[in-house]
Amino acid sequence: MDTKDKNTDLSSGIISPGSSASPMEIVELTRPAGDVETVEPPGVVEEGKSQPKKSLTPFQESLRRLWRDKRAVASIGVIVFFILLALVGPPIYQHIGGPYNSPTNGVIGPSKYHSYAWQELSNQDQFISGMYWLGTDDLGRDMLARLMQGVLISLTVAVLVEIVDIVLGVLVGVLAGYYGGWIDQVLARVTDIVFAFPGLLFVILLTGIFGTQADVVFSKIPLIGPNGNARLLLVSIALAFVAWPLMARFVRGQTLQLKEQQFVEAARTAGTSDTQIILRHIIPNLFSIVIVASTLDISNTIIGEAGISLLGLGVQPPGSSIGLMIVQGQAMIDSNPWEVLLPSFVLAIIVLAFSFLGDGLNDAFNPRSKD
Amino acid sequence: MVQFLVKRFIGLIFVVVGVTFITFILGLNAPGDPIRDMLGEHFNPIIYAQLRHAYGLDLPWYQQYWNFLVNMFHLNFGYSFKYQNRTVMSILAGGVPVSAELALWALILQIIIGVPMGIFSALKANTWIDTVNMGVILIIYSIPVFVLAVFFQVFIVWFDQHTGASWPVSNWGTPWAYSPADLSYKIVPIVVFALGGIAYIARLSRASMLEVLRQDYVRTARAKGLRERAVIYRHALRNALIPLLTVVGLLLGLLVTGAFFIENIFNIPGIGYETIQSINDRDYPVIQATVVLLAVGVVIGNMLADIFYSLADPRIKAQ
Repeated sequence: MDTKDKNTDLSSGIISPGSSASPMEIVELTRPAGDVETVEPPGVVEEGKSQPKKSLTPFQESLRRLWRDKRAVASIGVIVFFILLALVGPPIYQHIGGPYNSPTNGVIGPSKYHSYAWQELSNQDQFISGMYWLGTDDLGRDMLARLMQGVLISLTVAVLVEIVDIVLGVLVGVLAGYYGGWIDQVLARVTDIVFAFPGLLFVILLTGIFGTQADVVFSKIPLIGPNGNARLLLVSIALAFVAWPLMARFVRGQTLQLKEQQFVEAARTAGTSDTQIILRHIIPNLFSIVIVASTLDISNTIIGEAGISLLGLGVQPPGSSIGLMIVQGQAMIDSNPWEVLLPSFVLAIIVLAFSFLGDGLNDAFNPRSKD
Repeated sequence: MVQFLVKRFIGLIFVVVGVTFITFILGLNAPGDPIRDMLGEHFNPIIYAQLRHAYGLDLPWYQQYWNFLVNMFHLNFGYSFKYQNRTVMSILAGGVPVSAELALWALILQIIIGVPMGIFSALKANTWIDTVNMGVILIIYSIPVFVLAVFFQVFIVWFDQHTGASWPVSNWGTPWAYSPADLSYKIVPIVVFALGGIAYIARLSRASMLEVLRQDYVRTARAKGLRERAVIYRHALRNALIPLLTVVGLLLGLLVTGAFFIENIFNIPGIGYETIQSINDRDYPVIQATVVLLAVGVVIGNMLADIFYSLADPRIKAQ
């Protein structure tokens, strides 16, 4: 998304999406840089060759470099923590705490008052306590439960978008890079439009126009439909639609370089079919660029989802999303700033973790791109 | 040069047509029947048909699109669905000056703060000053604009409550007026709005300056005994600034999407705010018009950046 365009400093082989030069021109511009960043074919060089004991594959070396990067390792820790929190947090939390005698709802257990949509109107705007670990909001809903649900929503959207991003981006990028021709032309035109058009604007347009319809149509789908989450699918589609051309352009650039490498030439000379070359020799070598680009895109996606929900176009009440929590907490900024600070901090931490991890991966897998 | 401009211009037309087409098709397929919604209980087939005709909705889609394009070039986006006697342009006219003011000041701040910060960091490369500076910049760059806005708002509310001051956290004051009261409305949103771009420009100008400092001509300048100041200001800095011209387009994109959040969080009656209002009112002509206006603005900004770039660096034309 365009709130922040983090992918611009990925590596020397990658071109800033800001310049609206067509990919054909970009190849010309970057060829000298591309020579510096030669691609190591991990599987091919090592295969069937007895190496001295201590040597590592390039992939293992990259992992070792990543492991030495403290910031990236800390980010992995933070990300794992939030994934666990979102997945196993709610069921555990709903079993902690005794029965509560509510003036309005009678005696209720933690499975009720620790669920994200339960409004306990007798306990509005409470601060951190043994009963509500992170307090309650202005409708008496448990903040920790809402936060965990919000993180789950963010991560779900990120996974959905990245699946589409990677599949479409790699498919189109490889075909465009390997075969050129009309696919390449179409890709160039599509990326031109997508880069010129601020991505979030498209998402706002799509969710703005089709939001109410999505509420009706998608709400029948189990799991992702009910509780105001119906528009998430629409948001994910929109975010993926603006994300994949960038991935395709990265993959295309890398494919163009790989295509000229000797191991591909060797494979071709040996009579390997195009399909086999693409599957066995090109795609495995795209691993590093795809993992770096998609990690950096995850923070864009999470910002995008939170932003769309904040504008009232994503998750609808009574559902929970970090963006929705921010905008609801903002109404209480005078009396209870905690309610807006908590989701804002969590969002900042998650986004920073993914950005740092992306940078770390980039340094580890493309060491020569560093200045 | 002429050939380059023509090529760019053709590209521009292609992008504009693409953007308007997507926007138009989405609007055309919008759910529900806006005219029927408009009439509500007073539904009457004759008035219904008349209204559809007035809005041009009875034409086939390609004719509608053609009219949309032709009218767009006359800056005419038709009539609002919600306020039937108001044109879309008259609705947007209130928001445009506000958004333009916000964006202009933010852009100025970004350039006059971001560039020196980046250059300074590059000159002190790999010292603790550079590390701290770039660390802070990376964090500001990564955090979404609406989270920064919230942090600022919470701080101001806290400040007001503890000092008895009454610094506002929403609204805008009079557009293009700078009395102390107006300034108190405007300073915070403009600063928050600019922060992301400041960080972005600082990172870019640092990288660009480092790149230039490695060049042979800088070594030559040093070797012939020029003072360091002359080397940096006359030889390095000028060349380091050239690539920054290309990011104007990207900055415009950042400003456009950032405006939606800043305007909605600070309740500023600009285009971003009006767009969200019209989405809530399901006033599709207004939504379409804002999207087209903003996107075309960004596209033209991109093209201008390309032209500046080719003027500043003649090698680009050869490509």
